[in-house]
Amino acid sequence: MRSPGTGFWIALLLAAAGFVIVPTMIIDAPIEPVMGFVQKIFYFHVPCAIMLFLSTFVCAGGSVAYLFKGSERGDRLALAAGELAVVFGICTLTSGPLWGRKAWGVWWQWDARLTSSLALFLMMLAYLIARKYGGAVGRKLSAAVALFAAIDVPLIYKSVDIWRTVHPKTTVVPSLDARMKPAFWSAFALITLVWALLLTVRVRLERARTELAELRLDADELAEEHA
Amino acid sequence: MTKLRSVLIAVIAFVTAPAIAFAQEFEKVKDMPTQNIPAGKFVVIAYSIIWLAILVYVLIMASGIRRVNAQLDDLKRKLDRR
Repeated sequence: MRSPGTGFWIALLLAAAGFVIVPTMIIDAPIEPVMGFVQKIFYFHVPCAIMLFLSTFVCAGGSVAYLFKGSERGDRLALAAGELAVVFGICTLTSGPLWGRKAWGVWWQWDARLTSSLALFLMMLAYLIARKYGGAVGRKLSAAVALFAAIDVPLIYKSVDIWRTVHPKTTVVPSLDARMKPAFWSAFALITLVWALLLTVRVRLERARTELAELRLDADELAEEHA
Repeated sequence: MTKLRSVLIAVIAFVTAPAIAFAQEFEKVKDMPTQNIPAGKFVVIAYSIIWLAILVYVLIMASGIRRVNAQLDDLKRKLDRR
């Protein structure tokens, strides 16, 4: 694999700095009067959920490019984003219940927001499974799954406004206390940076795998010619 | 007879309505035992899981990169021998 460019190393350095600065900002942010200290989970829970949505959209975009234009690049991007959707899905669906247990008194509620989020996570998991074990049609099958998953994202977002749920509404971030905003947006920037770095590396790895497979084919052809 | 029954039902409904409405209202519970859940522990667990999930993914990718590099070196050696 070729070594990455300067931009990658700068981003990595920024992310490393973020790991030191952001937790300090979160600790310094005021404690929410109703929920108390447990509300601090919010600073990473929400960015992780946004990355889950973003990954799903990127996966669906790459899948569209692959399905309708046969783009291998789009397919590689879709795979990388699909894996990240599962990673950030795990982060969202584990940090949320921990917050809920303290704030609502229960680990889980089968309400619209939580159930549709779980459905999205399962769909992205199905995407990866279909891709890995789907055989010859696996890639096309999983691309179709990604499109259905993307339809679920707006539904998850609006679910708290449409149905009665225990989950906080979409107005939480805009109406956040001004003293909490720097910590939240810093955490959001850090998670986004980590997401972008992971996506870049994963796409490069997949490209290297494709190039290796092509090189092997060329080597085999050369060996046959010599023989 | 039907008229009389209707009037009777209306009277009963009128008399019992406040009682039914009162029964459906929420009553404030006094001296309810409170659960003392340690918030700090939950926050630490949540952050640990998030960073652990990302770290595991990074390690999986690192292992993938190492494997690809090793396979590339192997292929290069085979080609050089030819």
